Amino acid sequence: MSPATSSTVYKGKSGQWAFVMHRITGFLVFMFLLLHVIDVSLVNLDTDLYNEVHELYGNVMLRLFEVGLLGALLFHAFNGLRIVMIDFFPGAIRSEKIMFKIVVFFTVILTLVGGFVILKPFLEGTAGLL
Amino acid sequence: MTVTQNRPSDNRPKLERRPRMNFETWSWYFMRISGLILIFLALVHFSITHIIYDVVETNSEFVTARWDNPLWRIYDWTLLALGLFHGLNGMRWIIDDYVRSPGKRATVKAVLYSITGVLFAYGTLTIITY
Repeated sequence: MSPATSSTVYKGKSGQWAFVMHRITGFLVFMFLLLHVIDVSLVNLDTDLYNEVHELYGNVMLRLFEVGLLGALLFHAFNGLRIVMIDFFPGAIRSEKIMFKIVVFFTVILTLVGGFVILKPFLEGTAGLL
Repeated sequence: MTVTQNRPSDNRPKLERRPRMNFETWSWYFMRISGLILIFLALVHFSITHIIYDVVETNSEFVTARWDNPLWRIYDWTLLALGLFHGLNGMRWIIDDYVRSPGKRATVKAVLYSITGVLFAYGTLTIITY
């Protein structure tokens, strides 16, 4: 089997998952950033249109999307910190697995807390379905 | 007469202690430094617009009040610039890994660089002129 057609799954356990998730979350955050530059720039082009588009961010679908964005952002931030620590402190590689667990722990906890705050207006019935 | 002993390592080329600062080394450092700054900038930005204030409160009046202070314009522009170029470089690495044919790779990169360049210019214009 040539390298190009063989399996691309490298059995690196937590390090491999950290790598894959770092790429996926980075990609997603970048895609959102491109969209976000456009929606904010509407403020200069047409204030009413900016406000209408921004109202949409308050509906439950986009609130869920924002919770997902928060989760991706937090994972990418904490795992990025893990990468920097491994790169700049030679001893840190030995704690690589426990650091990955800490990254996942803080990502989940802070996404749940932040997600609750973001979804609160919907839970209280003050935010629309669409 | 001194006896010079030939050790195996004598035949090896001398390893440079410091990597040459070519573009790839430079981009490697840029990712780590911009990443550390972005952790602070992006998480504070998200906290203000989604946690401290609800997203529906961030209407055009909110933007006007915030950008009344030039320091917030500088903050937002730094976030825009570092976010876009950190994301652009990450996307470049992803493309190099997964888009293998030279023609396709050049096309995908051209599209990526164009979109990022246009949005960087457009976002900068919005922050300066609003």
